[in-house]
Amino acid sequence: MLTLDKLREYGADVDDGLARCMNMEGFYLDLIKSIMTDTKLDELEAALATNDLDAAFEAAHAMKGMYANLSLTPILDPILEMTELLRSRTDTDYSELLNEAKKQFSLLTELA
Amino acid sequence: MQELSRHNQNIRRKILVVDDELVNRRLLGFILGRDYDVIYAENGIEALDLIRNNERTLSLIMLDLLMPEMNGYELLEIIRNDANLKRIPVIVLTSEKSAEVKSLQLGAADFIPKPYDMPEVILARVQRLIELAEDNIIIHETETDDLTELYSKVFFFQYVKRHDRYYPDEQMDAVVLNVNRFHLINELYGRDTGDLVLRTLADCIRGLISDTNGLACRCESDSFYVYKPHSEDYDHIIKTFTDKLIEAIGFTNISIRCGIYSGVDISMNVEERFDTALVACSNLRGTYTSSFAYYDTDLHEKELFSERLVTEMDEALSQKQFKVFYQPKFDIRGDKPVLTSAEALIRWFHPELGMVSPGAFIPLFESNGLIQKLDQYVWKEAAVQIKAWKDKFGLVIPVSVNVSRVDICYPQLSEMLLDIVHSNGLEPNDYLLEITESAYTDNSSQIIDTVNKLRDLGFKVEMDDFGCGYSSLNMLAALPIDALKLDMRFIRNICENEKDRRMVKLMLDIAEFLGVPVIAEGVESKEQLDLLKQMKCDIIQGYYFSKPVAPDEFEKFIVDKKNSL
Repeated sequence: MLTLDKLREYGADVDDGLARCMNMEGFYLDLIKSIMTDTKLDELEAALATNDLDAAFEAAHAMKGMYANLSLTPILDPILEMTELLRSRTDTDYSELLNEAKKQFSLLTELA
Repeated sequence: MQELSRHNQNIRRKILVVDDELVNRRLLGFILGRDYDVIYAENGIEALDLIRNNERTLSLIMLDLLMPEMNGYELLEIIRNDANLKRIPVIVLTSEKSAEVKSLQLGAADFIPKPYDMPEVILARVQRLIELAEDNIIIHETETDDLTELYSKVFFFQYVKRHDRYYPDEQMDAVVLNVNRFHLINELYGRDTGDLVLRTLADCIRGLISDTNGLACRCESDSFYVYKPHSEDYDHIIKTFTDKLIEAIGFTNISIRCGIYSGVDISMNVEERFDTALVACSNLRGTYTSSFAYYDTDLHEKELFSERLVTEMDEALSQKQFKVFYQPKFDIRGDKPVLTSAEALIRWFHPELGMVSPGAFIPLFESNGLIQKLDQYVWKEAAVQIKAWKDKFGLVIPVSVNVSRVDICYPQLSEMLLDIVHSNGLEPNDYLLEITESAYTDNSSQIIDTVNKLRDLGFKVEMDDFGCGYSSLNMLAALPIDALKLDMRFIRNICENEKDRRMVKLMLDIAEFLGVPVIAEGVESKEQLDLLKQMKCDIIQGYYFSKPVAPDEFEKFIVDKKNSL
């Protein structure tokens, strides 16, 4: 079961995220649970695979806003880095950052 | 303006949150949901539908920029270009610094960064923005006149004050413009034409003040106020405006009047400045051609003074500020002048203004009908005085009082006079009535009937100011009068001016023909007296014998008369 302690252990800035949810723990946890089935990361991966940097930027940018609002720092960091690279449509190897993001997403889903 | 910031907190405002990410929508909805009704859209197209469906009730849009289908920028552009939608404020939700500038340029009112600020910050910004937007709407809806799109009066005055704060050294004119007989245009040609006149005039005014710091409003009906940089070309302005009006409505009998308070004194409050221009404009009322007039300080002060006199007359009557003075009339037919009667003349001793000249209040009260109250006051005082002298000296000194035009129309005039006389134990022939000649010519049949009735009751009637009216010889013959009183203007130069002397002779001949005595008033010198005596004038009144004096002082004339009997 997802708890605040587990999120803290994971590395989320729980206090910051909770404050944004007016310290309603249940609501905060509910929002996090709702993103566990999110497919944006798959969309990002697919876009990068076909070198569609526009689509990749949109997906990364969307995730950035979402994870930032929930203060999920471990997954936010690689997404943030990718977003900035993709903003300028930098043609580079994103696999390391993508793998880090996938790893962090996987760790997050295991918290539930 | 205070009124506008009192926001009704009881109304639950509606906010649209537009974001393609469910988490972001839910989070904002959670923060806002306690105080607002929140509706949601995932993209620009969905948002636009919701905005149009909630056009009148939507208080705020919170808009993400990067979205599929239609992004936030596109939606902002549509909102900005839609006259109905652009009143709804938009807060952009963004994590990009560069996007903030672009969205503000596209008309966003504010932005909230992602990740979101603390809820309290968001709520405060949302509330503030809604208040500002509502103020804006109220201002927008009330600051201009629907018909002409010029400012409404209240806002106009505010903007004039603001102008003066920023440009205190700019020389400005306050101008009032009116359409002559505008109500008739409405009645004769219909309201559409009337509206066209007003809109055309408003366009002219807009053209006049464009590219200047000028301001204008429609004050009421056909009255426009303009605050504009000083100029001297009002002749040209009025002509141009009139030409444009004629061109717009297609008939030529339209004209405007324009009152100008030139180079205003900005220490005077704004409303007063336009009252001042209005005074100048009002003086043109009744003209049939386009015209303009500048405010004249002396004229305005005179008007203010008159207004004060009118306002304070009743109080002055009740406080007995009015005193009746008496000027003796002497019969000069014999060797020695003999006191025959007196004229009652009103004097106003004002506690603050001192003695108010009769020239300042009598014509004024004659013009507005208040003279009737004053006349009645004099009638009563004079009757009481005749009785007092009768009791004290055993002599009746008849006193003449003025009967004004307006008194003649008073149906109970003769009953009232009779009552005054009888209640003081007097007879009507102790009491002389002076009626100005011009009153006869105004409404001769009514006055002849009234005078006949008064004379039948025993009153003596003197025709006052004779020579200044326009009595025809024919009418004079039919006039029921007991004496003619020559206008003092003929007496003033009688010694020096041959023409005046001949006129007086002519009038004396008329009196002789009518078989009535002649009274000359305004006699100031021995030369005048001698000349009038030589010309067989009967009775003399004037400063040569005495100025009008208080009753106590008048008694010396009665004593002299009594001693000579």
